[in-house]
Amino acid sequence: MKTLLARFSKLFSKTEQMKSKTKEYIRTHKTRITHVISQIVVYVFLITIAYVFLYPIFKMISLSFMTSSDLVNPEVVWLPKIFSLSNYEVAWRVLKGEVSLVNSVKYSFLLAFFQTVVSAITGFAFARYEFRGKKLLYTILLLSFIIPVPILLITQYNMFTSFYQSVGWTGTGKGLNTYQSQLIMAFFGQGVNSAILIMIFVNFFKLIPNDLYEAGKIDGANPLQLFWHITIKLSLSTIVVVFLFSFVWNWNETYVTNMLVGDGVELFINQLGKFDSLFGTRAADPARPDQSSGMQLVESYKMAATVISVIPLLLIYFIGQKSFVQGIEKTGITGE
Amino acid sequence: MAKNKTLEQLTKTKTIENQNKIAYLFILPWFIGFILFVIYPFFQTIYNTAFQITSEVNTLVYDYNLNKAGGNFGMAFRNVYFFPQLIDFIVMEATYVPTIIIVAFILAILLNTGVKGQSVFRVIYFLPVIIMSGPVTGILRWNGAGSLLDYNRNVIFKMIMSYSPGLAEALSGLFANFTMVLWFTGIPVILFLNALQKINVNLYEAAKIDGANGWQILWKIKVPIVKPTAFITAVFTIVQLGTYALNPVYYTIQNSIYTEAAGIGLASTFAFIYSLVVFLLVGIAYFLLGRPEKIKHVTLSSIQRLNMENIAKRRLKQKNKEVA
Repeated sequence: MKTLLARFSKLFSKTEQMKSKTKEYIRTHKTRITHVISQIVVYVFLITIAYVFLYPIFKMISLSFMTSSDLVNPEVVWLPKIFSLSNYEVAWRVLKGEVSLVNSVKYSFLLAFFQTVVSAITGFAFARYEFRGKKLLYTILLLSFIIPVPILLITQYNMFTSFYQSVGWTGTGKGLNTYQSQLIMAFFGQGVNSAILIMIFVNFFKLIPNDLYEAGKIDGANPLQLFWHITIKLSLSTIVVVFLFSFVWNWNETYVTNMLVGDGVELFINQLGKFDSLFGTRAADPARPDQSSGMQLVESYKMAATVISVIPLLLIYFIGQKSFVQGIEKTGITGE
Repeated sequence: MAKNKTLEQLTKTKTIENQNKIAYLFILPWFIGFILFVIYPFFQTIYNTAFQITSEVNTLVYDYNLNKAGGNFGMAFRNVYFFPQLIDFIVMEATYVPTIIIVAFILAILLNTGVKGQSVFRVIYFLPVIIMSGPVTGILRWNGAGSLLDYNRNVIFKMIMSYSPGLAEALSGLFANFTMVLWFTGIPVILFLNALQKINVNLYEAAKIDGANGWQILWKIKVPIVKPTAFITAVFTIVQLGTYALNPVYYTIQNSIYTEAAGIGLASTFAFIYSLVVFLLVGIAYFLLGRPEKIKHVTLSSIQRLNMENIAKRRLKQKNKEVA
């Protein structure tokens, strides 16, 4: 009994000692501990938010591999029991993949090209020259960003209709239902979010030191040479940024495309928008028509189609992600 | 006098003036496009609102109808879909925009605390900007992938549900689209982060010497400096929210162009009213967050105010001690 008591008291004193030691430690290292705790809290929060950001994408990818039996099976949450690519085959057929892919890339590329060139020229004028009405024009340019698209689009649509009719440019492959109207608008600097693209260029071109231009002028360079040999050659990275943004925005654009192009051109985005109605006619495998009666519209097909339409964008993003973020930083719309 | 004249001659020679006039040539394509595709359509659409427009054999027939039962505006008010959708849109903007700005600001502040892997988080937060489009958001929402986890199955949510169904409904309204709301924070986070990184570190030092804690630094230094960015973010978000599948007004406008009874006149009226609402929202954002000319003084005076507040507090403490 005594030994037990002695042991107990020993243990007690030890714990007391430990307690005081930890207290001492906490007292001396207070800032460090609070720092570590706050860091952990910050990380947990950031990771949770990142998970919420990515959740729809993960869910979409997971669903796109599921068969209809996996969808109704409550045990299957993330990983499908049978891994199959059949959803992608059907989705590719419904989207008319081979046509849509070429069209989407081609038109996004063309529109982005025009937009980038015109934005660069306009940005150069705003950044380099002092001319009458510059401030007014620049303000109008920025304000034009907040004008909602529908109020312009109604008249733009009428304009293009009457223009094509008066010129006689109608029929298949001409006028409306083709990409020509949007290409014209992009050529005149009125594409998707053109104001932002011009702003990116203006703010970057302003950073180029004036001495370079002075030197160029003394050597007898004309404005076009100044533009090409100094401005463009020095700002290749910005040009890439603007081009990528323009490409992505044109790829994702639906409203204007719906009005001016309509069903005329197959694109990933507009095919995806009409997925439900297209499914009935295109889903069946042409090689095995007898299967078609069993085909049902299941969300997995839709998810697979969404994944397909997003993959090119994801590829672009992961190759050029740094320049995307820098591009937004470069716009300089953060207060200066 | 003579010296001045030569200087003037040097700086204002004709060649420089001519070189500046070249700028007009550079902005010409954009300017033509602006007149053709922005200025003219804007006013033409407003002009359209006063007419019943029908298209007959390749030409548009304008028929003035503002005197008949309020014309297009009367029709717009009597329309079953338009105003409920417009109100939905306003409610959406009013709830989403503040949420997006606040969440983006919090994320930016946390990212700016010097966490490791900042660039990884930035890449993740910016990803939705790239893939967000009408159909994609539409499908993800329809599928419920946009909702925050399976909140319906959550125990806490069930508890709230059993105590107060009203609160649960409000919460589910927020959570059902929470991911989609978060997806709009991509660009705002970058803008805020950029603004925060530009704040001079000396400001923090000065505030700390004066005895300010983190909370005070946040409210009296970071928030005022970031305010102009918040305004730009708000405008950007207001515009962006309008363009996605979340906004039914766009499609009502588009559909009414093709229906014969309504026609271009009514569609123009819808577009006009909608635009007024958007301008009003931007105006409110400007009223709340804009007016950037004040900011320069705020940073300095806020520190001064802080200093004075702290001195006053110290004096109060001393007095209390003396009294005790």
